[in-house]
Amino acid sequence: MKIGLEIHVQLPTKSKMFCSCPTTDAPAPNTHVCPTCLGMPGSRPVLNRKVLEYGIMLAKMLGCKVADTTWFSRKTYFYPDMSKSVQITQYDNPVGEGGVYYLGGKKPIRITRIHIEEDPGKTKRVGDQSSLVDYNRSGIPLAEIVTEPDLSTPAEAREFLGQLISDIRHVIDLPGDGERSIRCDCNISVGKERCEVKNVTGLKNVERALTYELVRQTKVLKAGGKVERETRRFDEERGVTISVRKKEFEADYGYIDEPDLGMYNIKELAESIKIKESPLQMTLRLARDYEIDQKMAKQLVTTSVSLAEVFETVAKQYGTPNAVKWVAGPVSANWKHMEARGGTPEDVLPAIARFASGEITDTECAMEIKCAMTGESMESLGNATGDLENIISGYLDENPGIVSDYAKNDKAANKAIGYVMKQTGGKYSSAEVVEAVKRIIESRL
Amino acid sequence: MDRETVERVARAAHIKLTEAELEAYSRDLNEILSYFELLDEAPGCDDYGVNPIDVCDVLRDDEPRMEIDPDLLLKDMNTYEGYVRGPRLS
Amino acid sequence: MSIDMTMERMRAINDRYLMFHAMAESVDTDAGFTFSAKDNLTSKDMETCAGSKILIGYKPVFDATSIARMREEGGFLMGKTNMDEFGFGTFSTNSGLEVPRNPHDVERACGGSSGGSACAAAVFEDHVSLGVSTGGSICCPASFCGVYGMAPTYGRVSRYGLIDYGNSLDKIGILSAKAGDLRRYINVMAGKDPKDPTSCVQPELKNEERSMKSVAVPKEGIEGLSKDVESAFNNALEDLKRMGIDVEYVDMPSLRFAMPAYYVLATSEASTNLARYVGMRYGQQEGDLSLKFDDYFSSFRSEYFGDEAKRRILLGTYTRMAGFRDRYYAKALQVRKVVIDDYKRILADHDAVLAPTMPFTAPRFDDISKMSALDSYKADYLTIPANIAGTPHMSVPCGYGSDGMPIGMQFVADHWDENVLFTMAEDWEKEFDLRRPEVTI
Repeated sequence: MKIGLEIHVQLPTKSKMFCSCPTTDAPAPNTHVCPTCLGMPGSRPVLNRKVLEYGIMLAKMLGCKVADTTWFSRKTYFYPDMSKSVQITQYDNPVGEGGVYYLGGKKPIRITRIHIEEDPGKTKRVGDQSSLVDYNRSGIPLAEIVTEPDLSTPAEAREFLGQLISDIRHVIDLPGDGERSIRCDCNISVGKERCEVKNVTGLKNVERALTYELVRQTKVLKAGGKVERETRRFDEERGVTISVRKKEFEADYGYIDEPDLGMYNIKELAESIKIKESPLQMTLRLARDYEIDQKMAKQLVTTSVSLAEVFETVAKQYGTPNAVKWVAGPVSANWKHMEARGGTPEDVLPAIARFASGEITDTECAMEIKCAMTGESMESLGNATGDLENIISGYLDENPGIVSDYAKNDKAANKAIGYVMKQTGGKYSSAEVVEAVKRIIESRL
Repeated sequence: MDRETVERVARAAHIKLTEAELEAYSRDLNEILSYFELLDEAPGCDDYGVNPIDVCDVLRDDEPRMEIDPDLLLKDMNTYEGYVRGPRLS
Repeated sequence: MSIDMTMERMRAINDRYLMFHAMAESVDTDAGFTFSAKDNLTSKDMETCAGSKILIGYKPVFDATSIARMREEGGFLMGKTNMDEFGFGTFSTNSGLEVPRNPHDVERACGGSSGGSACAAAVFEDHVSLGVSTGGSICCPASFCGVYGMAPTYGRVSRYGLIDYGNSLDKIGILSAKAGDLRRYINVMAGKDPKDPTSCVQPELKNEERSMKSVAVPKEGIEGLSKDVESAFNNALEDLKRMGIDVEYVDMPSLRFAMPAYYVLATSEASTNLARYVGMRYGQQEGDLSLKFDDYFSSFRSEYFGDEAKRRILLGTYTRMAGFRDRYYAKALQVRKVVIDDYKRILADHDAVLAPTMPFTAPRFDDISKMSALDSYKADYLTIPANIAGTPHMSVPCGYGSDGMPIGMQFVADHWDENVLFTMAEDWEKEFDLRRPEVTI
């Protein structure tokens, strides 16, 4: 089974894409409207700079090649909520193309393209007699992200969307309930022919719609039938998809370039835009680039992004083993303490440098780091640390099995940790004890 | 441009044609399109733009503003409780 | 200065020539000058229909920037001028409303599509009219009605408030019986407008006198002319030489491709612009809403669009349709660039390219009704090249035919070089004996 998604995300600008109407919740229908978003004859679009910037940010986040020059196109489409019967979107040269996005840090999902476009208004059915239209949404900026059919199950599609939304929210400060504001067109094929389920709202519904389609298409194929290429819609209440139109009745969009806006040379703009890395992305990148366990990377990033940055600094200067030993070890253990007294993480670097050059020993380095971070004196610490380390060493001497068990499963350390905590009666924080126990066990391996 | 294509085009353009109109427009369009075959002979190029002059990088700041009272915009529209009335959806 | 005009006289003149679709309700005698504007420019106080039945009832809530700037200059908007529906025509006979009559012979057309504007400029004293040119809609009627007409460079005058025909082609300009009005009022309307991005890249309009030294006459531009036009044009060339202007014949091979490329671009864009007219939101809106939207839209459009509008919508929908787009639309964009390059090549050595504006004088209405659609498209072959290239161009009256009808010649200058055209018009006016029509009521 192959699943590809076309994901529409509302971009959090203050004004609409091509006019200055506010994007905030309107007090009543058709109150945030002007000649441009109502498509009145004589009106004209002017592009909101922020929309272009957001588009570039998302293109970068998705690992797309950002276009040097981008422009807009007109997609002709007749519907009551489409005020011009034309949607200004991108066809040739969208903002970004050809990206890769890693699901769970591992599975690559190819991104075909990302483009920016305007949202139509909203229609309301009134019995079977007529419709009522509210154009407040008309002209709200959207990014459309199109994936290759690289997703293999409905659950995976949902997981992908969840991860994507959390990343997008981090990069462009997407407010509110991002899960519900996301709209998807889902392409799914079990056999050769694919169907498109249009305009599904929310993660849960995407999974439901895809699961329904999976079952439906499988049944058709098992019965020896053929899946017809068509557009379907999802009925949220009944949880089923319904055929809307067959392929041969697809609208002819007749794309042409939009001459009212001209071109946008965005090469320099794109170079000047730096995107914030999301915690998840940083975790995945650390795990990948420094070949460390994803759990450790996550632990670093969740404690603090600055801690993870110290890890990177140390790894680059003194190698990953030193970064793992010291930053994931004592620096991490004392981080909260350091933050509480307003210390700076750079203070630990001299000690690590001296250890790396062989000037000081393991124990000395651990002590120096703790002093630098907690502000305690070497002397008082010397005695205390001596106590702590003596207790641990003594216990390990008596129970050498713990060291060999630890090599197979690091949970073996828990026995020693429990013993030491009890012996010292709250004199040391659990983080300190855990760090010291693990460090001493590892030095005996 | 055969009859079927003219029908397809008319459907896409949301224009209803009577039998007589279909015939007349087919004739006109075919005459025009055969003249347009001249384009096939014309030289091409790569560096063409969207406009006859270079229009580049014209952007607006993201500042919300209402310049025209929406009530004024709606005054000549067929509305119901602030909504614009439209035809049946399906 | 005060305006010497009464409503009675205005109405009586309009009854005879039908230049206006809508008129001011009273005359502002304190205004600095009077002007009229083509009915595809939005105006707050008057219905704006762009010559189409589908827009009857559209009362814009905003003035087009061009009209607003004329008003700020002290202008009094007398009326909105009749035109071909959305600009689709060469004679203003494709109007869904009223068809203006040529002031030199009311049995003949004013030309199009700014026919009402040329008519008003010819008939009223001290009057300028705003026209809009997509493929020749200012120069053609200027030539047929015997007035000066200029379409400046694409992007020189803001298109905010213009009801679009072809957005990459439309240009707002001036028609007047006085040459000096071209410079004066293009200056009033020109300049960047944040409401129209395509107006925001223009260099400043230059105004120091810049006399024309040499013109290039393309051999392709003097083919297929009527006898009257040919002889008037040749006489004009002699006059230009006497004025010290070099005249050189040149080859401009791209010209013959300009016409099909223009019609492809113009109709492709027009068919998307006209998609919005579906019987909702503005203009005509009374229909049976219980019809499914596709049927409601289709029946509405079929009822209110005129014959030529439908033809161009069908043509433009076809030329941009998947499967045909590359052959027509994409190729036409390339040809536009080829035509621009051809102009640049010739204008590197000359101040302007010159040819007659129209191949014949204003035809009679009964002859027009015998022309096929393609015949009238072909009549635009001299005005189209400058329009597809977005280069500034101007028609000046240069003679009269044996039928007494005016003949014009068209100068085309390089992008942003309106100044050389202004100066040319002012110099020519001193040499040429302009005949104003006898206005009868």
